[in-house]
Amino acid sequence: MPEPTENLQESTANGWEPKIVAFFCNWCTYLAADLAGTSRMKYAPNARVIRVMCSGRVDPQFVMEALARGADGVLVGGCHFGDCHYQAGNHKALRRFRLLQRVLMGLGIEEERIRLEWISAAEADKLRDVMNEMVAQIKALGPLDLEVPAEGFPELADVEEVTA
Amino acid sequence: MSAETNGQPKIGVYVCHCGTNIAATVDVEAVQEFAAGLPGVTVSRAYKYMCSDPGQEMIKEDIRANGLERVVVASCSPSLHEATFRRATAEGGINPYYFQMVNIREHDSWVHTDIAEATAKAKDLLRAAVHRVRFHKPLERSRVDVNPAVMVVGGGIAGIHAALTLANADKKVYLVEREPSIGGHMAQFDKTFPTLDCAACILTPKMTEVRGHPNITLWTMAEVDKVDGYVGNYKVTVRHKPRFIIEEACVGCLECIEVCVFRRGKTPDEFNLGLSMRKPVYIPFPQAVPPVVVIDQDACIEFRTGRCKKTCVEICADRNAIDFTQTETFDEVEVGAVILATGFKAFDPKRTPSYGHGVYPNVYTAMELERLVNSSGPTEGHVTLRDGRTPEVVGIVHCVGSRDVNTNEHCSRVCCMYSLKLAHLIKEKTGAEIYNFYIDIRAPGKGMEEFYNRVAEEGVHFIRGKVADVYPEAGNTGRVILQAEDTLLGRVRKIPVDMVVLATGLEAQADAEAVRRTFNITCGGGGFFMERHPKLAPVSTFTDGIFLAGACQGPKDIPDTVAQAGAAAAEALALVDRGFVEMEPNTAYVVTEECSGCKTCIPLCPYTAITRVDGKAQINPVLCKGCGTCVAACPSGSIRQNLFEDEQIYEEILGVLADA
Amino acid sequence: MTQAIVLDVPDLTLDGLLDTPAGRALLSCIQCGTCAGTCPYGEVLRYTPRRLIGMLREGFIEEALAGDDLLSCVTCYDCWAKCPRGLRLTDVLLPVVKEQVLLRLPQVPPELQDALANTMRYGNPMGESPRKRAAWVESAGVPVPLLRDLGRPVDVLWIVECYAAYYPRGQDNARATARILNALGVDFAILGSEEKCAGECARLVGEKGLFDTLREQNLAVFGKYEFGALLTSDPHAFDAFAYVYPALGLDRPVDHTTPFVAARLDALKPRLTQELGYKITYHDSCVLGRHNHVHDEPRRLLEALPGVSLVEMTHNRDSTICCGGGGGGMWLDTFYKAKGHPRLSDRRVEEALATGADVLAVSCPYEVPRFEDSLKVLGGDDRMVVRDVMELVAEALAD
Repeated sequence: MPEPTENLQESTANGWEPKIVAFFCNWCTYLAADLAGTSRMKYAPNARVIRVMCSGRVDPQFVMEALARGADGVLVGGCHFGDCHYQAGNHKALRRFRLLQRVLMGLGIEEERIRLEWISAAEADKLRDVMNEMVAQIKALGPLDLEVPAEGFPELADVEEVTA
Repeated sequence: MSAETNGQPKIGVYVCHCGTNIAATVDVEAVQEFAAGLPGVTVSRAYKYMCSDPGQEMIKEDIRANGLERVVVASCSPSLHEATFRRATAEGGINPYYFQMVNIREHDSWVHTDIAEATAKAKDLLRAAVHRVRFHKPLERSRVDVNPAVMVVGGGIAGIHAALTLANADKKVYLVEREPSIGGHMAQFDKTFPTLDCAACILTPKMTEVRGHPNITLWTMAEVDKVDGYVGNYKVTVRHKPRFIIEEACVGCLECIEVCVFRRGKTPDEFNLGLSMRKPVYIPFPQAVPPVVVIDQDACIEFRTGRCKKTCVEICADRNAIDFTQTETFDEVEVGAVILATGFKAFDPKRTPSYGHGVYPNVYTAMELERLVNSSGPTEGHVTLRDGRTPEVVGIVHCVGSRDVNTNEHCSRVCCMYSLKLAHLIKEKTGAEIYNFYIDIRAPGKGMEEFYNRVAEEGVHFIRGKVADVYPEAGNTGRVILQAEDTLLGRVRKIPVDMVVLATGLEAQADAEAVRRTFNITCGGGGFFMERHPKLAPVSTFTDGIFLAGACQGPKDIPDTVAQAGAAAAEALALVDRGFVEMEPNTAYVVTEECSGCKTCIPLCPYTAITRVDGKAQINPVLCKGCGTCVAACPSGSIRQNLFEDEQIYEEILGVLADA
Repeated sequence: MTQAIVLDVPDLTLDGLLDTPAGRALLSCIQCGTCAGTCPYGEVLRYTPRRLIGMLREGFIEEALAGDDLLSCVTCYDCWAKCPRGLRLTDVLLPVVKEQVLLRLPQVPPELQDALANTMRYGNPMGESPRKRAAWVESAGVPVPLLRDLGRPVDVLWIVECYAAYYPRGQDNARATARILNALGVDFAILGSEEKCAGECARLVGEKGLFDTLREQNLAVFGKYEFGALLTSDPHAFDAFAYVYPALGLDRPVDHTTPFVAARLDALKPRLTQELGYKITYHDSCVLGRHNHVHDEPRRLLEALPGVSLVEMTHNRDSTICCGGGGGGMWLDTFYKAKGHPRLSDRRVEEALATGADVLAVSCPYEVPRFEDSLKVLGGDDRMVVRDVMELVAEALAD
C-alpha cells in the first residue's frame, strides 16, 4: 500500500471521494458491468464508464485529459488475450498503456492511478472487485490535483509510432 | 425547460424510472430537473417506462412538435434498448444516430445502494451524454449480403433438429460432428423420461433423415479448425480426421469387422463406456449415421506393424472402401450463420473418490446403466453385475458432481428425472429393492411430477440425504454400504447394496473454452456458453450470427434441447433468409488532407482494411469492423471513427468530470 | 477440495456469527445431511451441523445448546471436507456453538475439566511440571538446544507440544525427530519449559478463554526470540499457528514435522539404509490429512524407507476415519463410554488390521496411545504395532 499523502489527510476530513473515469470495451468489460447489474452485485460508485468499441480505441490522450480534468484515476477494461472481438486490439492497448504508465510516472503520478484490466463478459465478480480495490487504493493515495505543465502534456501520439 | 439554445442543436432528455428498478435508487426527478438546466436541453422528461410504446411516442412527438435535433435517453444498458430508441428517433424524423443512451440501471441503480451517490453518478453520466450528443453526425447503416448457408456444429439431438429445421426451410446446412456417427448422448439412452418412449425409436428416423437430406452436407469425424469473417459472411475451416474408409464406397455390410484378424475385440467400446470390447475396425453402434465403419489407428495391426494380413481389404474386394493412406484434410466453407450444438460432458466420478467408482466394481455411472438397461447394449438389456449376478438391492446416488461447490455448483437439471427413470427400468427388469438418495427431487415440467408419483407407488425407496460414504460391507459379500443421514427421519442409514448408480451431472465439454475462442463467444458459469440475454435472447450470443442450441448453453433435457434447437434454427433462418445485414456505421475513415502517410496504422488493422494509396492511408469501409485501434494510434490525428469521434469522447470526459 | 484458510474473525462468538461472511454462508445450507452422514458420531450426535444450522436459522438454537450432546463432536473436519456448500462447519460453526454448550453445562465431565484446568495451570493437559517439558532431551542422544541457552536466532523453532514432550510414547517421537533434524543439519532449537500448549483442542472443545490465554502467553514467548519458522510435531498446534494465531500477530511460516522432513527427503535418503522389512498402512490424521490435505508427503517418506511396502485402508486420505481424540475427545473417553458411544479408534484399528499390515503409521501424537489401546482391546497387538512416521524414519536412519 502506498504511503498516505498530505492531500489525503486534508481530503478525508472533508469527505472527499475519488473520481474515476473508466473506458470499457463494448464486448467484454462493458458487458461484465451489465452482468454485475443484472446480478445485483454492489460496488463503489466512484467510476464513470465511457464505452468504446475496443480497448484498442483508448487514446493515451483520453487518459491524460481525464486526469487533467480532475479524475483521480483512470481504469481501462478490455477482453482477455485471445478473446478480443477484433483479434488483438487489447494487445495494442497494453503496449500503449505501458508507455503511458512510464510517461505518467515521469510526471510524478502514482502508477496505481491508472489501471488496465482484462475482464470478460462473464466476470462480473472481477469487475466488482477491481472497482472496489481501485477505489480503496486511490482513497489511500488521496486526490490527484494534477498541475498541467505550462507547455501541456507530452504528445503521446509522437511516441506511439516508435512502438507500433 | 430551457428555451434558449444559442444556436446549438436542441436536445431532448428522457429519464426512465424503469418501474422501481431505477427509481428506487436514483432520484429520477432530480436527474430530470438537472438535465433541464444543461446547455442545449430544450425538453427534459421523466417517465415510468421509456421503452414502452407511450415512452417512445413521447420522443417522436417531441421531435415533431418541439423540433428536437438530438435525443438522450437515460435508462438501461444500450445492449438492451439502444436499437429501440434509435428507431424511435428515426421515426420521429431525425437521423437515428442523433441519439445517445445513458446506462443508469445496470451501471448505476442496480449496483449501488446510496441514493445520493447513485443520483450523482446518474447526473454525471447524463451530462456526458448531453455533451457528446451535440457532436453526433447523421450516419447511414450499410448493407452487406448474407450467405444463406448455415453451419451446425455438433450432431446430437440439438444439432440434428436444428439442421433438419433449416434444411427443410430450403437452406444449405453443413452439419459437423467430431465422432464417427451423429446421435450424441441421446443415441446411448434406452428410454426417455417421463414418457418412457425408446430413445432410438424417436432419434433414428431423424438421423436417417439427416443422412438423406439433399440440403445437408454431413461431415462426421470433423471439427471446426478456424473461423474468419463476420455475421452473414463467415469463412469456416473444417478439419476432417481420417476414417481410413472411403465413406461413399462403404456399403455398411460390416463384413470387414467379421473377418478382422482380431477374433475378439480388445479395445473398450466407447459407445458402451467400456462395458464391452470392440475390434480396431468397427461401427460405433448398429444405427450409426453414416452407416459406415471406421478404423481405429491406435488399435489396428496394419498401422502398428504394417504387416497385417488385411483380411478386411480382401473381403471388401472391389468395393475398395478401405484406404490406409487417408490423412487429415481440410475444407473451407462460407456460411451466413453458425449454430453451436456441442453438447455436454458427463461428470467424471473419479473426481469424487469417496463414491468408489473405479474402486468397487459394482459402482456404475448413470450412463453405464443406460447401456446396461438397453436391449442393444452389452448385456442385451439384462441388468447384471460384473460377475453376472442380478442385483437384489440397488442404490441410486443423486447429485454426483452437481450442487456441490467442490465439483459443480449448478444443478444439472436432468439427474432427478433420469434417476427415476432408471429406478423404474431396473425395478421392472430385476425386481430389485431400489433406494434413491436425494437432496431434493426436482421434477418440474410436463408429466414429470406424475412420473415421480408413479415410481414412488412402484415401491422405490426415497431417502432424503446425500450419500456421505461408500465402503464395502464386512465379510466379503461383494456389497457396498451406502451411508447417509435420512434427514426426514433424522437418523443415519447404512444400506448394503449390490449395485450403486451414480447420478452424474452435466458439465461443459472439456474443450468448451477452445471452441469459445474459435467462435469468439463467451463462457459463463460452469464453463457453459453464455447466451446474449438469459431471458430475451436465450439462443443468441454476443457475436452476431453465432447461435446456441442444447446443453452447450447449460444442462437441459431432451424436450428443452429440441425446443431450443428449433429456436436457434429460427433465429439463424431470420438472419440468412433476409439476405442482408445492416452494419453498425462505426467504421473508421481518413481525413486525407491531414494524413502524413506514416503507415503507423497499416499493420495495426486486423482486417487489412487500410492500404496506402498515393502516399496516404485509405480505409475500406466494407472491411473495417470499427474497433478504432488505428484511430487511437494515428500520430497526426487524421483517422476518425464514426460514432466514436475524438471530440465526442473528449466531451464525455468533460461531461463526467464537470463536477470534479 | 475444500481448503483450510486463516480465520479472519478470531474473536467470533455465536451472537456475531451471522454478521460474518462465513456465518452468513451457513444460511445457504441445503440440509442435505452430508455432515451427519459422514460424522463419525453421526449415529449418536443429536445436534448435527445440519440441525444446528436449521435451528440457528429459525431461532431454536438455544435448545441445542442445553445438554452435553455436542461434546460428542470430535472436530474431525469430516463434515467440513464433504459439505457440498463448502460451509465452514468445523472451523467456524462448531467452535462457537460448543463454546456456548460448555458455558451452559452444569458440570463439565471431570476428565475434561482436569485436562483444561491442568492446561491452564501447567500449560499441558497431563498436569506435568513445566520444568520437565524438556526432560526427554537427556535421552535424545543428539543435541537439542534450548533457544534460551543459544542466545542467537535460529532458522527453526521446534514446538514439541505436550504429547510428544511428556507422554512416554510421544517422547519416542520427539527423540526420533531430534535425530532426524540433526541428521539433516537443521539449525533448530526448542523452548523447553517456556513452551506451552498451543491450545487448539481447548478452542475446539469450546474453551476459547483458555485458548486466548495460551495464545497470549505463547505469542509473548515467541516475541522474545528471533527465529525463521515454526515447526511442530502436533497437527493441532500446526492448525492453531497456521490459521488462528496469524490474525493475532504471528507472522512466521509454520510446518509440521512430517511434510518438513518429506521436503528434505533427497538430503536424507542416502542415510536411510537400515532395512525395516515392514508392511505399513498409513493413517491420515484428521487435521494434517483431511484439513490440510497432507497425504502424499508421509507416503513418500514411508516408501523411501528400505524394505517397506505400503497398503491402504478402505478409508484413506480425505476420507480417513477419526481416532476420536480431537476437539477434546482425548479427554472424554470415560464420558463417551458412559454414554455407550462406540470407540472411534476401534473402528479405525479394525480397518488397519484388515489390511494385513504389521505397522500402523501415524503423524499425530494423539493417535499412538489411542490406537495402541484399541489394538490391545481388539486383540491385535500381537499382529500390529503403532509407530509415528518420525519413529520409522529414524529407525531406518544409519548412525
